[in-house]
Amino acid sequence: MAAPMGRTLLGVARGWRRLDSLWAGSPRSRHLSLEAAPSGSRSPWRLLGALCLQRPPLITKPLTPLQQEMADLLQKVETERSLYSDHELRALDEAKRLAKKKADLYDDDQDEQGITLAQDLEDAWEQAFLQFKPGARVTEADKKNDRTSLHRKLDRNLVLLVREKLGDQDFWMLPQVEWQPGETLRGTAERILTKLSENNMEAKFLGNAPCGHYKFKLPKAIRTESDIGVKVFFFKALLLTGDFSQTGKKARHVWVSKEELGDYLQPKYLAQVRRFLLDV
Amino acid sequence: MRTGPPRLFGRQGERWATPLWVWHGRGRWIPGICQTQTRHTHQRTSLLSFWELIPMRAEPLRKKKKVDPKKDQAAKDRLKRRIRKLEKATQELIPIEDFITPVRFLDKSRQRLQEEHSSEESEQRALLLKRWALYKKQEHEAERDTITALLEAQQEALQELKLESPELYAEAMKRDCSLFPFEKEGPHHTPPISNYQAPEGRYNDITKVYTQVEFKK
Repeated sequence: MAAPMGRTLLGVARGWRRLDSLWAGSPRSRHLSLEAAPSGSRSPWRLLGALCLQRPPLITKPLTPLQQEMADLLQKVETERSLYSDHELRALDEAKRLAKKKADLYDDDQDEQGITLAQDLEDAWEQAFLQFKPGARVTEADKKNDRTSLHRKLDRNLVLLVREKLGDQDFWMLPQVEWQPGETLRGTAERILTKLSENNMEAKFLGNAPCGHYKFKLPKAIRTESDIGVKVFFFKALLLTGDFSQTGKKARHVWVSKEELGDYLQPKYLAQVRRFLLDV
Repeated sequence: MRTGPPRLFGRQGERWATPLWVWHGRGRWIPGICQTQTRHTHQRTSLLSFWELIPMRAEPLRKKKKVDPKKDQAAKDRLKRRIRKLEKATQELIPIEDFITPVRFLDKSRQRLQEEHSSEESEQRALLLKRWALYKKQEHEAERDTITALLEAQQEALQELKLESPELYAEAMKRDCSLFPFEKEGPHHTPPISNYQAPEGRYNDITKVYTQVEFKK
């Protein structure tokens, strides 16, 4: 009974102290502070804006066995229900004529068919197709497992991770920056984009609202009344053009798909981040 | 006193002084001023004031043709009748070429021979279709669950933001007008080849373009 009473009394005392500080300030300064967001009573949480920059997939995923079977079946059904095309009719006619030629031993001048048979045309088309070399679906970066390059895992969504120092240690995280009063959180995210890429990186932001958040309290040693912890708000953006200039081992960034996030991020952070990333 | 040009009219019994060319004699006209008190009632045509009776126009008077306005009116009427007729006639709709089968495809020789499938094959097909239906159902449910999870995460983030500062929350809730219309090319089968030179050549575009004229009433 006594302990909770004590705590509530303490809480009330703290509240009174805060009110005192409010009233102590002159009316003029309070008015100004109301205009600038956030309002005069500073919240104890620090606000950070973070950027979830995604590179959308460039190629389609390979078909699963069931999907492949279904695709084949649909193709078969389509040809069965179709009419003969001009090319097919021509091929059938020529087949009949060849059969007739073989049957008749006497071949008079009834060579009305042209020099090129339908079969010849098909062969020519096949050759042309074989000569064309399309782009490789599995790129070099895939083979080397160079995670800093954008040209890997072309059928997946890649997210940008950045290595930064918090206190003494290096952590991998989504790029984040402290929010400045006078700008919206989305503006903070846009600021991150321009800061990260000195070269042109164009991204399409998906709306004004954050897609996720992560909050943590500072360790008790540093924690004060006015500085309990940090709240990070993530904003999604799709990368349109541009890339980092630095790649290789020295780079402090990494493009990573959803499964590989576990290799880099801290568990609690990872859990929150996975919630708003699509499983593509 | 003789005066050359026609005398200007004034009010009855009025003293008026006008600049006139006065015949001086010996064949000379000199500018002069005529000051007389005259009565010109028999010469006045109207009770209008002085300056309004003076013909001030510069161009010579036109001959009025009575037939012309009638001709113009007739031409306008004819045009209006034609427009009304066109409006009344039903407008030709632009044909959808996909819905019109060309005549050459109605030939019987075009029809494929319908092969009969063995009972095993048809059974295999039916089983495959069932498996496919199940797979699509699972895919749809997974998609729906991902979307609800995404929305949940977003709502939580917005709640936290609301606790932090109402102004930033209000900013986040605003609609982003620059988001739509959003156009993006979908994924292809193979990535683009760098330094690819497309084969050169010209083509004649023979697509038929239909225009539908709309008549305003």
